[in-house]
Amino acid sequence: MTRTISAPVADDVLPTGADGTVKRRGRSKWRVFALTVGALAFLFPFYYMIVGSLQARSDSSLLGALPMPGNLSLGNYREINAAIHLGRSLLNSVIFTAGVVLGTLVFGVLAGYALARLKFRGRGTLFAAVLLLQVVPFQLLVIPLYVQIVRGYGLADSYVGMILPFAINSVAVFVFRQFFLQLPVELFEAARIDGASELRVLRSVALPLVRPALLTATLLTFIGPWNEFLWPFLVTKQAGKQPLAVSLANYISTVAAAATNPYGAILAGACVLAGPAVLLFIAFQRYFVSSDLGSGVKG
Amino acid sequence: MKPRIPLASIVVLSLVLASGCGGGDDSSAAGAATAHGAINVWLSNNAQEVAWGKQVVQAWNAAHPTEKVTAQEIPAGSTSEAVISASITAGNAPCLIYNTSPAAVPNFQAQGGLVPLDDFADGTSYVTARSGESAAQYKSPDGKFYQLPWKSNPVMLFYNKKEFAKAGLSTTAPPLGTYTDFLATSQKLVSSGAAKYAIFPSPSSQFFQSWFDFYPMYAAESGKQLVVDQKATFDSDQGRAVSGLWQQLYAQNLAGKEAYTGDAFADGTAAMASAGPWAIAAYKNKVDWGVVSVPTQAGSAEGQSTFSDAKNVALYTACANRGTAWDFLKFSTSKEQDGKLLEMTGQMPMRQNLAQEYPAYFTANPAYKVFAAKAAHVVEVPNVPASVEMWQAFRDSWSNSVIFGKEDPNKALADASAKINNLVK
Amino acid sequence: MKTRVLGRQPVGLLLSAPYAVFVAAVFAYPLGLAVWISFHKYIFTAPGVSVPRPFVGLDNYTAVLTDPAVRRSFLNILIFLLINVPLTVGLSLLLATALNAAIPFRTFFRVSFYVPYVTASVAVVGVWLFLFGSGGLVNQVLGGAAPDPSWLINGIWAMPSIAFYVTWKQLGFFILLYLAALQNVPKELYESAAVDGASRWRSFRSVTVPGVRPATTLVTLLAIITGANLFTEPYLLTNGGGPSGKSASPVLLMYQRGIEQGHPDIASAIGVLLVVAVLLIAGVQRLLERRQA
Repeated sequence: MTRTISAPVADDVLPTGADGTVKRRGRSKWRVFALTVGALAFLFPFYYMIVGSLQARSDSSLLGALPMPGNLSLGNYREINAAIHLGRSLLNSVIFTAGVVLGTLVFGVLAGYALARLKFRGRGTLFAAVLLLQVVPFQLLVIPLYVQIVRGYGLADSYVGMILPFAINSVAVFVFRQFFLQLPVELFEAARIDGASELRVLRSVALPLVRPALLTATLLTFIGPWNEFLWPFLVTKQAGKQPLAVSLANYISTVAAAATNPYGAILAGACVLAGPAVLLFIAFQRYFVSSDLGSGVKG
Repeated sequence: MKPRIPLASIVVLSLVLASGCGGGDDSSAAGAATAHGAINVWLSNNAQEVAWGKQVVQAWNAAHPTEKVTAQEIPAGSTSEAVISASITAGNAPCLIYNTSPAAVPNFQAQGGLVPLDDFADGTSYVTARSGESAAQYKSPDGKFYQLPWKSNPVMLFYNKKEFAKAGLSTTAPPLGTYTDFLATSQKLVSSGAAKYAIFPSPSSQFFQSWFDFYPMYAAESGKQLVVDQKATFDSDQGRAVSGLWQQLYAQNLAGKEAYTGDAFADGTAAMASAGPWAIAAYKNKVDWGVVSVPTQAGSAEGQSTFSDAKNVALYTACANRGTAWDFLKFSTSKEQDGKLLEMTGQMPMRQNLAQEYPAYFTANPAYKVFAAKAAHVVEVPNVPASVEMWQAFRDSWSNSVIFGKEDPNKALADASAKINNLVK
Repeated sequence: MKTRVLGRQPVGLLLSAPYAVFVAAVFAYPLGLAVWISFHKYIFTAPGVSVPRPFVGLDNYTAVLTDPAVRRSFLNILIFLLINVPLTVGLSLLLATALNAAIPFRTFFRVSFYVPYVTASVAVVGVWLFLFGSGGLVNQVLGGAAPDPSWLINGIWAMPSIAFYVTWKQLGFFILLYLAALQNVPKELYESAAVDGASRWRSFRSVTVPGVRPATTLVTLLAIITGANLFTEPYLLTNGGGPSGKSASPVLLMYQRGIEQGHPDIASAIGVLLVVAVLLIAGVQRLLERRQA
């Protein structure tokens, strides 16, 4: 039985006309307009960063916000690459970040599932630890943590030493827990009634569904170690092991003054630092679509 | 419901108690003053200093194959103290750090991280022979040398010749000698549109920023350190004169109060800057600069002092082979190596009679001559306990009264003086 | 049902063991030490060097609570949170909802809101200064209506300026959280609301908002936590403490006192107080939420 929808509908549900085409409401034009204004406001600083990084001479006037043909060059990128070997630094960043993301995804899912769906001794305490770790500021712990990892565990100048304090992101554990809490409890109960062991339930019920949470957790976890400066800076003295955020900060504090366009060089480094994160997001965000949306949808 | 004692909190509690009893865990064997062997040193990551450091290490290693030196870089800047402090605590500090800030030495000393150079037979004599009278400023309250005065960057006033010309001011004898002249010049620079600001020292509230606005002028005016004999000296006519001048500059918007990304002088936003000889290389192709001494009330004089902006070398207790460390330290501060430092970085080694020791260099690079002359008249930060806290207290009061004009500067100076007297007791 | 020693599903212990070990091995000692330090007179020393570390009870806490700079910093954070948290929650939900719909160039829009989040503050702040500096774009547009002194050096506007900056910068993160949560709101609910004749706003209020409640909890909690731990932005935007310390944050003071000045005992006291304050705020927020439900 079909029914013509005549009342205003939520734009999340696209009304389909009799010929099957998607009809857009006039009001969504305003939405697009508002979003465009917002997007421009958000993008402007990034755009300004890119323009600034391409400036041969620093131009901080209002007109400098426009790319002036006479002032464009890739010189800043070359200078910063000469100073800090962008390739090597990026590789270190990737290793550091990948270690953290892997640790979080593998062990965080398990912990999140256990906290959400299993009753065991110490669950409350562990959950309290998850909360507490998020709340405590890093600066409170940094020197004892450094002593512990460098002296206690002898992990100075190593990737493991860099990764260790970040190995399992507590926010991600929290997100996994919430995710599993939101899944209908009947799913698990049904499997349990069928006699499956807990591990079986985990493997065949929980894990297949967890992909959206994995994506979210990756995007959440990724940015911390990618932009992290203080910890790798403390733990590694070898320039060959330092991630890009540290190399960039080093560059800003010393070498930059001697560059032709110091601020432009800093912006070039920052653009390089931001690039992979943006690309990752572009790649992942397309999974954030409801699987129910019609196939004729653009975007 | 039965109250249950969470398991984990017992674990945490016992760890807390255990860590408390910690204190002196495995004490690494402190190397005797005569032990020799391989050592580690840290350099700042200033490109020129690294180049200098590499060649020193190479020269040493060639001559001493059994006592190899390995050099690493740590960033210069506000975070280097955090790195050094953390490594002292962890016991993995290197033997020598060629980037030890004199203001941080009291803290490192209190941590038990520094070896007094007096432990070596020729320790004191070497330091005083090399640096002469100015070495006395680097003694700790217990009379020992916990640092070797290595290089200084005497702070002077750079000015932008092009912008001065635009404002109709002389570029060869700019009117910057007295406070009255300085203020008038600043006003002219801004009102004529030659520059947005006359001078733009960083208004940040970090503890060391006063070393580049207040301290050079105060040193020039009074020749004294901030604190002498455990008493603050700046609550005086001289201190008030300096803060009065800066207060005028900020009140009339001749100096910037906001954060600025980049170097204001290099960008031409500010017509003047307080900087040391390191700046010559930085400003080379960007600004047509001239340099004079910082102003004083009566007019700048030949022998007036300024802030040293020194960076020193210290020997750390984590060092096992202290004999080698001391020998390497002497090697790297020999006349030859000091000369190389001068050539490669343009910074002033803290050696007596600098201009006479390296006449060839100064003939070839006359721009640096005036800094060499100044290097003989530098005032250092006071070597007192709680030195960082002291500078922070000063900076907070300066920020509030002089930069933001929320308080009367004279009263602020008096309050800061009282506070600091309490701190350095 | 008999209660078992290890709980009903002891395999939970196994699954959460790696995380528990991680917490114990990495954080238990530093955290415990930090709390212990806050009750003693303490400096970090080289190994083998022993200095007296007397127990001083609540002296550090008293010193901290009577320090006007510290009290001001807590007030600053409160101002920050009052602006940042509601703005963040509201804007990110609205934007996530808008970005969840099928709109043209959706990827472009999503990326543009996310981009500030991934760019390092140190680079982006220059742009902010360009906009909000005393000669910046905003003041030029506002002309006479611009505050004097300008935003970032103004005693009243310094902290709110930082709050707006951080809100803008972090929004992408929270939009992401909401986007993920919105995928779980069943489409049928929207359809039935539409059938009932609900306007878009109405369906937002009665379907979307309740549907993403767990995400709202998470977003609020995280916004409070990251706001309370504010550190770099005051440095970058307002030179550290700002005019009269009106934009200093507790973590900034912790860094100054603990690491720069070598007083980890004072810094730990500030840190513990901050953690307690945040837990209290989070607790209150949870209570309010439970009341509403």
